[in-house]
Amino acid sequence: MDKKRPIWRWAGIVVLGLWCLGGLAWAEQVESKAAMVGKPDQITIRTLAAFQKLELPPVTYFHDKHTAALAKENKGCDTCHYQEGDRLSFAFQRRQTTKPDEIQDLYHSNCIGCHNDYVAAGKKSGPQDGFCRACHNAAASPTVARLDAGMDKVLHYRHLASKNIVGRDKEMENCSACHHVLDPATKKLVYAKGQEGSCRYCHQEEGRPGMPSLQAAAHEQCLNCHRNLANRGLQTAMPLDCAACHGAEAQAQLAQKQQELVAKLPGGDIPRLPRGQPNATLVRYEGKANGGTAGQEASLPPVPFNHQAHEKYTDSCRVCHHASMESCSTCHTRGGSDKGGFVTFEQAMHRRTAEASCIGCHQAQQEQANCAGCHNLIVQARPANQAQCQLCHMPGASGAAASPQQKAALAESLLQSRRPGPDPFLTAKLPDKVVIKELSKKFQPVALDHAKHLSALQNGMKDSKLAGYFHSLPGTVCQACHHNSPAAKEPPACVACHAKTQGVASLVAAAEISRPGLQAAYHGQCMSCHKDMGLKPVATACIECHQKKPQHAALSHQEKE
Amino acid sequence: MQRRTFLGLLGAAGMGAAVTKTVQAAGVKHFEGYPDSYGVLFDATRCIGCRSCEAGCNQINGLPAPEKPFDDLSVLEKKRRTTAKAFTVVNRFDQIPGVAGAVFRKDQCQHCLEPACASACFVAAFTKTPQGAVIWDESVCVGCRYCMIACPFEIPTYEYDEPLTPRVMKCHMCHPHITSGKATVPGCVGACPTEALVYGKRTDLLAIARQRFAAFPDRYINHIYGEREMGGTNWLYISGVPFRYIGLREDLGVTPAPELTSGALAAVPIISAAWPVLLTGIYAINKRREKLASQEKKQAVAEALAKAKAQAKEELEKALAKAEAEKKSAIEREVKKALEEAAKAQAEAAAGKGQTEEGE
Repeated sequence: MDKKRPIWRWAGIVVLGLWCLGGLAWAEQVESKAAMVGKPDQITIRTLAAFQKLELPPVTYFHDKHTAALAKENKGCDTCHYQEGDRLSFAFQRRQTTKPDEIQDLYHSNCIGCHNDYVAAGKKSGPQDGFCRACHNAAASPTVARLDAGMDKVLHYRHLASKNIVGRDKEMENCSACHHVLDPATKKLVYAKGQEGSCRYCHQEEGRPGMPSLQAAAHEQCLNCHRNLANRGLQTAMPLDCAACHGAEAQAQLAQKQQELVAKLPGGDIPRLPRGQPNATLVRYEGKANGGTAGQEASLPPVPFNHQAHEKYTDSCRVCHHASMESCSTCHTRGGSDKGGFVTFEQAMHRRTAEASCIGCHQAQQEQANCAGCHNLIVQARPANQAQCQLCHMPGASGAAASPQQKAALAESLLQSRRPGPDPFLTAKLPDKVVIKELSKKFQPVALDHAKHLSALQNGMKDSKLAGYFHSLPGTVCQACHHNSPAAKEPPACVACHAKTQGVASLVAAAEISRPGLQAAYHGQCMSCHKDMGLKPVATACIECHQKKPQHAALSHQEKE
Repeated sequence: MQRRTFLGLLGAAGMGAAVTKTVQAAGVKHFEGYPDSYGVLFDATRCIGCRSCEAGCNQINGLPAPEKPFDDLSVLEKKRRTTAKAFTVVNRFDQIPGVAGAVFRKDQCQHCLEPACASACFVAAFTKTPQGAVIWDESVCVGCRYCMIACPFEIPTYEYDEPLTPRVMKCHMCHPHITSGKATVPGCVGACPTEALVYGKRTDLLAIARQRFAAFPDRYINHIYGEREMGGTNWLYISGVPFRYIGLREDLGVTPAPELTSGALAAVPIISAAWPVLLTGIYAINKRREKLASQEKKQAVAEALAKAKAQAKEELEKALAKAEAEKKSAIEREVKKALEEAAKAQAEAAAGKGQTEEGE
């Protein structure tokens, strides 16, 4: 009898264990289901974390859910947010951050109080006293599906052109409604015409005393204006809830709507921003600090820059003017400065990995399928040659031009002179077909359609001004395949450099770049270009390039045995 | 077990451990591989998964025809391992984060600089050749398959369907074919149409790999797998995706397997010699101790018995003496009593004569 008891005890423990595991698995399933539906209006309330270590997990709060519930009762934003004049404070039930105890009381008494009132009135409501973990549930909160709600250039134009927006003063243009600077004398926000810039120049990720964060500033500015216009009875869609700006669905709809809108505009595009920017300018080092005099290098003249054209290619000014509207050389000095993160002026223009540099942005364009076929074959970290440098640093762009007007005039005349004629190499007599006999023991020779390949390359770049200009050096297009030797009307045959070896590590000296053997050179170039451009045939479809030899057909791998 | 015995064993075990430690310290030396050894560099960004390497290996080694021909790429749908009939296999890896298409990797013996299989083989069938290949001599193999367990890359295989003369089989980097002049590069390398495989001196391969990193910094993970893994291998890998996504273990560390095991294995003869002596000693000591104890016990019992015997004898003698004395005194008492009675009778007789005379 006594001996049997431990068996029952163990059985009990095992059953309990399985039950617990089952429960955990179920809970996880529920959780993972919840995690799949992220919402753009999810806010994590962790205000107290700025003061102390949190006792309980932060609160997961769904803003749109509450707005919708209140709207049913004809209650507005001021139920939870203080209103002063026509502006709301977007902190909960307060204007400024006060003491942690007060904030805690504020949330607890107002959230739970409101929930209690609803329950007392017999309505459906949220968690009440004692259900701490129903709100403090960070572990159970689903992933947030909130996208950044930036203003692209079309949305910016729509705000600029809107007749409903009222300027800071009644007579002022729309710009003044949003763009402002702090007047140091009056300590008031004023509009400074011609000095408009991105909000992010001042309002950064984290706020600081006297300077709200980007989030706070954007909500204060956008939502108050939208709300006031809505209160005036305007029916146009002015988003007020979270999902309307931060939701993926709403953003897709907006993009669609704007695309249609732009198509209807005269010229099929939005007009240029009226900020007084030049059509063209000379890019050169303007500073005198850290040695050297501005614009005195005869060997490396300034770069004429088509500002107007680049406005079309970019979504906002801050793509290039990434930190301020000042001259690049203010921060990016020669030799670098602390202010510019020790990125020198030269690096600011040429750094391959930087988004805001000329070369960085141009190289990013090469990732498009049309460009990638050739450009992925080119060694990424390669020094440019003088001819390539001179495509930007045009000889003749002297440093004589001093005033902005002179700079613009010189730049425009230089840009006008950029009218590349037809590539002399491509007007010559070129072969229609090239027969490659490299694997002719195994397969029939490959008849490469040279003309078709050339026209495919030319068609791929014909709509791109970038490609049109930068491929204008004679033979550049040829060098997509006939690479690593100077451009020539009759380039050396592949076999001149690529030995007929197979898989031999051909490293003679440490400094010598290893070259593939002939077969691998052909395959590497053809296959990687076709793959990167998304073209058929796929790499493993041998017979689409190499026709089977009649006698070899009987010698497939299996039948060799 | 007695406490004393347990402590004795513990002491012996401690001694064994001490022996191991010193052996390990003495047995390890740094080995960087044979200078000028050859290897193969595999570049996952160039591999198209065409299985030509498998065909090349099959052909040069005269292996049996595969179930599905080498141009049938449907075999890539399942992850495969090397077998006794296929020294190398290509696997396809899909759904790699941030990668649109598939990435392929060829698997075969990595030809470790210090092979685990060789250190596990107790008949020393494996040889690391100065040319780089890890080869084996099947004539001394006893078929224990320890090499298969030891290999961290799960490469050696066994001819399970060979009833009489099963062999361990694996890639030998075409060492026999290259030394005999039948081939200049391994079969797989010679068959690769894109030079995803290149054969050369290991030092050159490392330099070539670094050249590719420098030329295309965005294309590669800046790591040469096999440069240091498991103490270094002669087969090297470079890739555009982290190596764990193409089925290469990232948890192997940089210590060669023999270094981990040489200490323990070198201690085996010493321990196998020392333990019997120690244990026999302990046994003998305990046996002697037990013998002494039993002797003492016997003596004590004997002494006790003798004492008891003597005591009993004494008591008996005492009792006997007492009984004798009692008997004597009883006799004396009886005699005395008889004498007294006799005297009394005499006296009574004398008095009766006088009365009768008087009464008549």
